[in-house]
Amino acid sequence: MEPIQLPEWTALGPALLLAATAIALFVVDSISPRSTNRNVLAGIATTGSLAALGVAVWFSMAGVGATGVDGFGVIELFDGQFVVDQLALYFMIIVAVVTALVVVASYDYMAGHTYQAEYYSLVLLAATGMATMAAANSLVTIFIALELASLPSYALVSILKDNRGSVEAGLKYFLVGALSSAIFLYGISLVYGATGYLQLGNIASVIEAGDAAAYDGLLGLGILFLIGGIAFKTASVPFHFWAPEAYEGAPAPISAFLSSASKAAGFVIAFRVFTEAFPLEATAGVIGIDWTVAFVALAIVTMTVGNFAAATQDNVKRMLAYSSIGHAGYALIGLAGLSADGGELVMGAAMMHLLVYGFMNTGAFLFVALAEHWGVGRTFEDYNGLGRRAPVACFALAIFMFSLAGIPPLGGFWSKYFLFSSALEAGLLVVAAALVINSALSLYYYSRLVKAVWIEDPVLERDALTQPTGLYAAIVVAAVMTVVLLPGFGPVVDTALEAAAAIV
Amino acid sequence: MCVGFEAPNVTEMNDWIAIGALALVGLLIPLGMMAVSYLIRPSVPETSKRATYESGEVPTGGTRVRFNIQYYMVALLFLVFDIETVLLFPWAVVYLDALESDAVSLFEIMGPMVVFVAILLLGLGWAWRNGAVQWAQTPRQVEADRDRP
Repeated sequence: MEPIQLPEWTALGPALLLAATAIALFVVDSISPRSTNRNVLAGIATTGSLAALGVAVWFSMAGVGATGVDGFGVIELFDGQFVVDQLALYFMIIVAVVTALVVVASYDYMAGHTYQAEYYSLVLLAATGMATMAAANSLVTIFIALELASLPSYALVSILKDNRGSVEAGLKYFLVGALSSAIFLYGISLVYGATGYLQLGNIASVIEAGDAAAYDGLLGLGILFLIGGIAFKTASVPFHFWAPEAYEGAPAPISAFLSSASKAAGFVIAFRVFTEAFPLEATAGVIGIDWTVAFVALAIVTMTVGNFAAATQDNVKRMLAYSSIGHAGYALIGLAGLSADGGELVMGAAMMHLLVYGFMNTGAFLFVALAEHWGVGRTFEDYNGLGRRAPVACFALAIFMFSLAGIPPLGGFWSKYFLFSSALEAGLLVVAAALVINSALSLYYYSRLVKAVWIEDPVLERDALTQPTGLYAAIVVAAVMTVVLLPGFGPVVDTALEAAAAIV
Repeated sequence: MCVGFEAPNVTEMNDWIAIGALALVGLLIPLGMMAVSYLIRPSVPETSKRATYESGEVPTGGTRVRFNIQYYMVALLFLVFDIETVLLFPWAVVYLDALESDAVSLFEIMGPMVVFVAILLLGLGWAWRNGAVQWAQTPRQVEADRDRP
């Protein structure tokens, strides 16, 4: 059968669908302002994000952007400002999955909130920005996509306008975000000044030709600032301070959205910028230092800080926030390992981890959303004995926690195992050791939550708990995917490795 | 060791000297005017000179008032259309040339701009319907808004 020949711009389909969904929500809100018809609004948002997911999976399967015999080749749009390859589609899938889960869960969580249409359209706009980040191939488009993802996020964090915690979290997130955006933009301007190009491939060719050698300090400083901006978006040390505050104050589905999708989008620009624009040897020749060294240090410090801080928390949401910083450290290994031969294996493993993380971390935050929906409280003690009242959700929580800790045979174990073995192959002994030590430590605080839910006796007797359909559905789907994703889906492993090989 | 000193070529004056001179003059003129008026003005201290307005308006309240949020709404809406014109201008300049060159069809040059303007108009319509440009509000409307958390 002759394959259908779509015009080239449709390669950005997932991002365009998310944008169209946001616009559709605006139209609905314009026709009947202040509508609180959650069925229509959440329905549109769910349909849109699932359609984007479907198109992204379809494109990925059909070989759009794949550089094989049966692939269509990497698609460059707008003179190479955007590029759709396997990497872009892979991260669009992650973003669309998390968006769909969050939107479904928000149906119950945001019940009774007045600004329904605004909420869903902001979520979809942020998702559009994140999907665009996956495909952006020039520092300008990267920055604009980054802002498109960030600005709705600030509003979403503080959307509970009467809740002081939410407003405070939004302000803190906005201030740190504005600072790091400025740093990132300054970095872009320095790189542009040193090389004269904004497009990633052109920057690389200038550096390789040795034309940037006169501006070694400028280029080095620019790269350092770019790392700073990326560290903010991925919640890595030294720009991780906002994460616990923002995640704790934000509505829990938004915490899930930011800690999974936003983090993944931060990593895709990190992967693309550093592999495409700053070729290792040539850049090391100009600035005098191998940039993987910076990521080795950042990875170790980030995972250690995140896990140690998480171990001391009493508040479940804060614990998850610090654990999300720790997981950013694990994913940073993907960039740390690039200097060795098996670099694309390490990066592929990091990308697998981000996909699994998209399910297990979203699920864990959605359980917190469920607990907030019930109104049981925030600390570990408040969660005591929930397992007797809501066994299904608490069983899912146990899956998320053990998967985050990396217990076989769950998804989190496999992605961490791939990370560990490929890091060893790449000769990163210290990083691999830090990964194992931190995972062992993380088991302590993850299992503490499971113990509270299943073993401890409740502080005071509760009545029967409600079972909100949307939240339950999202949590169960996330739990099932966490279990079956990596052991059952050989294609996922292949796709991740292919996507990593496409840019390394 | 002899340190060479090259005399500057007088005919090719550095551009920065002119810019520096302009900046200097620009700074000296207002400072000079302020200094001269300080020297020749009569000194008549009076309390009403310390008021916010000297134009005969009786000031009510302090200077640190809260501005209505709608000023910012209007400023934001203005910004949207300000940027729209920035993009429309170059598009309008190349429009006829692009049509004559046969390289792009009418759809290809009109389509993106129509979509762009449509999105902006949709945004304006949305803001309008949600009361961003609803300047004056009757007490009843204000009351109706109050229970929106």
